[in-house]
Amino acid sequence: MTAPLIALEGAAVGYGGRAILDGVNLSVGPGDFLAVVGPNGGGKTTVLLTLLGAIPLVGGRLLRPRPLRIGYVPQREHVDTIWPLTAAEVALMGRVPGIGPWRRPGAVDHEEVRKAMARVGIEELADQAYGELSGGQRQRTLIARALAANPELLALDEPTNGMDPAAELATMDLLRELHGGGTLAIMMVSHRLENVANYARTLAFVDKGQALFRMGSLDEMLRPEALGALYGRAVAVREENGRRFVYPTSAEEQRREEGRR
Amino acid sequence: MTSLHEFVGAREIWEVPLAASVVAGALLGFLGVYVVLRRTVFVSAALTQLSTLGLVATLLVEERVHIETEHAIEQLAVAMVFSVVGALLLGAFRARRLPAEASVGAAWVVASALVVLGSSRLVHAAHDLGGMVFGNAVAVAAGELAMLAVVAALCTAVHTAFAKELAFTSFDPETARALGMRVPLWDAVLFLTVGVAIPPAARALGALPVFAFLTLPAAGALLLRVGFRPAFALAAAFGVLAASGGYVLSWLWELPTGATMVALAAVLAIPGVLWRLARG
Repeated sequence: MTAPLIALEGAAVGYGGRAILDGVNLSVGPGDFLAVVGPNGGGKTTVLLTLLGAIPLVGGRLLRPRPLRIGYVPQREHVDTIWPLTAAEVALMGRVPGIGPWRRPGAVDHEEVRKAMARVGIEELADQAYGELSGGQRQRTLIARALAANPELLALDEPTNGMDPAAELATMDLLRELHGGGTLAIMMVSHRLENVANYARTLAFVDKGQALFRMGSLDEMLRPEALGALYGRAVAVREENGRRFVYPTSAEEQRREEGRR
Repeated sequence: MTSLHEFVGAREIWEVPLAASVVAGALLGFLGVYVVLRRTVFVSAALTQLSTLGLVATLLVEERVHIETEHAIEQLAVAMVFSVVGALLLGAFRARRLPAEASVGAAWVVASALVVLGSSRLVHAAHDLGGMVFGNAVAVAAGELAMLAVVAALCTAVHTAFAKELAFTSFDPETARALGMRVPLWDAVLFLTVGVAIPPAARALGALPVFAFLTLPAAGALLLRVGFRPAFALAAAFGVLAASGGYVLSWLWELPTGATMVALAAVLAIPGVLWRLARG
């Protein structure tokens, strides 16, 4: 078994010393694609930011066996669009922690930014104002910023929030392409299970309201009992043309299903 | 009305105050870009008021212990302590239990009330204080100009050395924190520069122009969408133009200096407003 890049062991996560969720065991290894799913306000972002060390642990352990290069993509709405920064200037910020104080970004940093923007298909937007880009283009800019650091772990918080279906699909396809079976580990938070069911290899269900944290392989987590634990009702998973569709069933469908059993 | 010839002839009177106005205008215009982009305009208003409170407190103590000579440096030092502590508490290490507007509003209103109460107890310095608050900028000592220049040089050095850290942690603190950056430290550095800049500038120009220069030049520059780095240069240039132009016009037209500077700063922001309106 490959050693994890980063892990939480028996962690209690929360704010100001107060736990909102206990017993969190989660690890991300090289090449993993983990999706953290749960309702809005269920504690997904708290788990993610605690794992990254941005929120102090309330209890348990955070393991990072060696220094790790991280790329982080926040929720798009959290990034202020009144700042008169170009897409390239935003992407360059991904290099700042690596450059360190006193030094200015050099040619290598600008080249890494150019490559990252090319990788997500927005090289031509480099000089455009970030605030004037479309939602999908802003998302790609934030992903380019994360990639500019050549991360081993790419962490994303609700990357498809507020997108139309086409932009959502394009963003998820881009993540699959970036993952590409290589060593880049991806961990993303989403409140829409269907959004990630066709991409992630591992799922974690989080809901502080039910004190629920459960993690497993995709197949394991898409079983009716696991889905029932998260949603508190029957949820069906259908496969068509190689794509999974996840949807809650009505009371009538639920009764029919039980009758069939 | 004073003629331009008379104004030039009185050079010995205005050269130090005008130089102080130029330095303060440039410094505050530059810092104002962060103040506006971080949506902390009213933090600067509260800090200006806290700085005035520090000044009033020093004047009160001086009168009570019968200090006859003026101690400008001591007054400035106390004003700086008030402003810097306020900057750290309201900007960098703000208690999250209260909305930002509530703590900033409370600081501003309490400081204002204490300034009024303190001023009412002043016997000799009450008249001078009026000038310091609303700005007449006609009597700046060479020592005060030197202090302002030192503060401006320090702030410029800090913002040059840590430009990328201050920009990143201000623009997207969540990501900066996730990438291991010490956001509270950089916030403290930023607000420290604002807190240190306000008292000597307020001493030279008055509280009203200081608040205006932390807002209007930056707003005017940002509305023109010239880009992030150029916005700092343009805001500083607007600050210099408003401060020096306002100073000269107030002499020529015999108007209150601080208010003339503020009015000119507002006029300089108009092209940006029109440009934005034209662009829809």
